[in-house]
Amino acid sequence: MRYLIKNGSIIDPAQRVAMLGDVLIENGKVVQLFDIAESALEREALGQAPDVEIIHARGCIVSPGFTDLHTHLREPGQEQKETIATGTMAAVRGGFTCVCAMPNTEPPLDNAATVRQVRQIAWQEGHVQVEVVGAITQGRQGRNLSEMAELVEAGCVAFSDDGSSVADPAILRNAMAYASMLKVPIMCHCEDTQLNKGWAMHEGAISTRLGLPGYPAAAEEAHIARDLTLAELTGVHLHICHVSTAGGVALIRNARQRGVHVTAEVAPHHLTLTDRWVLGSLANYNELSAAEIAHQASSGQAKRRKKKVDRDSVRIPFWLNPKLLPPYDTRTRVNPPLRTEEDIEALIEGLCDGTIDAIATDHAPHTLVDKECEYGFAACGISGLETALGLVLMLAHCNALDLMNVVAKLTEGPAAVLGRNPSSLRPGSRADIVIFDPDRPWIVETAHFASKGKNNPLQGQQLKGQVMLTMSGGSIVYRHDEFGKVANPVQPSKLNDILPKD
Amino acid sequence: MSTISAAGFHNRHVLDLDDFSREEIEEVLETTESMKEILAREIKQVPTLRGKTVVNMFFEESTRTRISFELAARALSANVINFTAKGSSVEKGESLLDTVRTLQALGADMIVIRHSQAGAPHFVARNFKGSVINAGDGRHAHPTQALLDLFTIREKLGGLTKLKVVIVGDLLHSRVARSNLWGLTKMGAKVTLCAPPTLLGPSQFWQATWPNVELSYNLDTALKGADVIMALRLQKERQLTGLLPSLREYQTFFAITMERLALAKKDVLVLHPGPMNEGVEIMPEVINSKHSLIEAQVTNGVAVRMALLYRLVNAGQPA
Repeated sequence: MRYLIKNGSIIDPAQRVAMLGDVLIENGKVVQLFDIAESALEREALGQAPDVEIIHARGCIVSPGFTDLHTHLREPGQEQKETIATGTMAAVRGGFTCVCAMPNTEPPLDNAATVRQVRQIAWQEGHVQVEVVGAITQGRQGRNLSEMAELVEAGCVAFSDDGSSVADPAILRNAMAYASMLKVPIMCHCEDTQLNKGWAMHEGAISTRLGLPGYPAAAEEAHIARDLTLAELTGVHLHICHVSTAGGVALIRNARQRGVHVTAEVAPHHLTLTDRWVLGSLANYNELSAAEIAHQASSGQAKRRKKKVDRDSVRIPFWLNPKLLPPYDTRTRVNPPLRTEEDIEALIEGLCDGTIDAIATDHAPHTLVDKECEYGFAACGISGLETALGLVLMLAHCNALDLMNVVAKLTEGPAAVLGRNPSSLRPGSRADIVIFDPDRPWIVETAHFASKGKNNPLQGQQLKGQVMLTMSGGSIVYRHDEFGKVANPVQPSKLNDILPKD
Repeated sequence: MSTISAAGFHNRHVLDLDDFSREEIEEVLETTESMKEILAREIKQVPTLRGKTVVNMFFEESTRTRISFELAARALSANVINFTAKGSSVEKGESLLDTVRTLQALGADMIVIRHSQAGAPHFVARNFKGSVINAGDGRHAHPTQALLDLFTIREKLGGLTKLKVVIVGDLLHSRVARSNLWGLTKMGAKVTLCAPPTLLGPSQFWQATWPNVELSYNLDTALKGADVIMALRLQKERQLTGLLPSLREYQTFFAITMERLALAKKDVLVLHPGPMNEGVEIMPEVINSKHSLIEAQVTNGVAVRMALLYRLVNAGQPA
């Protein structure tokens, strides 16, 4: 069976390719790319060949499938939250063709037998490639190293105690030194649990107003600084998970400049949502009623008030509306917590200048029961595989990031962290491909998620940009209901700057 | 989850003073005066809430607030159920959501909730068809305490506009302070917060929400020209968590003493939400002096809570 993806806007960051054209796939591999301006006859002939299925991709982006460095699949042990089958189905709906399963399962992935079991289940029931991240320490307790060499033999591609940090620096130093022998990265969840004891959200003006105990940016940054120093000492490849603060980005940038082998990822929600989302509808009351403004004007405070409104105004013109949520909505509770606009700006800057290599979802599905409770008691995490693309495309629509860069951070960036050849549309590559319509508006309806985790604060929000088709190893693993039914003759607006004219 | 209609939601519950307008606060304070009259009668009871069930749901220890709410509800002829986390199915692991649904199925009309977690009353309000009154949630809010403070000051001084109010003590953990910040600033008072940095946090954290509030680490300077001092309870455990060197040092620099009262206006008033640590944040001489309004606060608490119950039961009726 051959597939011809026709008239798509092809973006392949690994080849620095952006063009209008066709992709021919045969036997699970990419065979050839055709530029729309060339080889008209050949394309015509292919289009009429009986063994070729045509996929009309006009108006859509065709790119290599995405790789997620940070996915919680919850199996084994927490199948009420997610399974490998449902998690990987969520992945294909988000355009991901490779996900890295985090080891905080029950039991944790700290031994070869469990890792083999996960890979076996993934092989049988998974919809995409599943790579396994092993635990740094036994039981993720931060005390004794797991049998890392054996874990690598069993197929682990990296190590992490994600969900917890390795608190004891001596243990982490040993883990790093040991892992450097195995040539795999140590992925660090950076959190000083002394500095954020009892935390519920980011420490700042909003936590002060809501009376929720804060997680200061410094609790993340102090740990990043420590881990960078240890990476420098041991020479290991350190990967910083879900960096969320401006200070964290600066530390990583600085370390890279002095030659430390460090890479980093950022989650879509940290790039687009702030701690104001915890206020939810209370944000309304910051805007004064006409009567109050009149009252304040008479008492001479109007001028000062106006200044405050200016300072609070969002600089990046996101169209999402946190006021759709009630206050203290536990779907906004995530670790690290949603930070501030200043942090978002620094994270975007980090993506642009290469300090941050990858966008990773930190997909963390939970049950309703885990979330339907008091804010401070709620489980941390966002079920994010299915909204990741829509969220990060918002950065492209707002001109904060170009589309090529967005795709790069979802494809070649994460592949490089894993030390692999970048996923690409080069002839001969495995046909892991995503087709998405970058302009298509849709409303997030968590009830329709493939993931078991419906915990996503974007419920009811409009996103722009949706996955239409995902192909894994040359098979179509997901096709949007409406894909191919409605003609979409328009070239995506954002492509104008990327594609060569004519 | 549906979008909340802010206006309807706000009329049905008392969760904090952030969504009260100045006019609404004044309305409550005026109703409180009428309620005070009822409490001065021989028979301290009116039939306003006859046939209604008010549940006092207390997940944290409380003496005065719980008794005050109970007296208020009884003075309005409501049936009152007291529910404490101890001895209930919460100890068997029942969730807050289940507890609320159960109370609803049992026919509760109003829930008065005290909880250690900020936001718990908002959560209950979203899942309960009746009215919810916040009797204190974590560090977040204690609106009935703030209203009784406003009432007590206004009763004594005739108004609140332009008064200088100094709130001193453990502001970081204080729900009383946060609700009072809304109430006092809406009523036009000027507020200064005074505490060591470990119990206060950076000024911009406060000023982002309450832009005109001032902060000070020096109580002696802060007290200059003060009309009202609000002392907050200092939990003795704070020293153990490293927030303070010692209670002795705290007392030396931040306790309300008779000497310090002399730095404020001549007739300065002193409030304290209770329970007090006498000799730590406030000296016994101050409590017993003419400056103290602490007993009046407790008395007024019942009338304020009656006024709020009355407001909610009326809001529930079609106009």
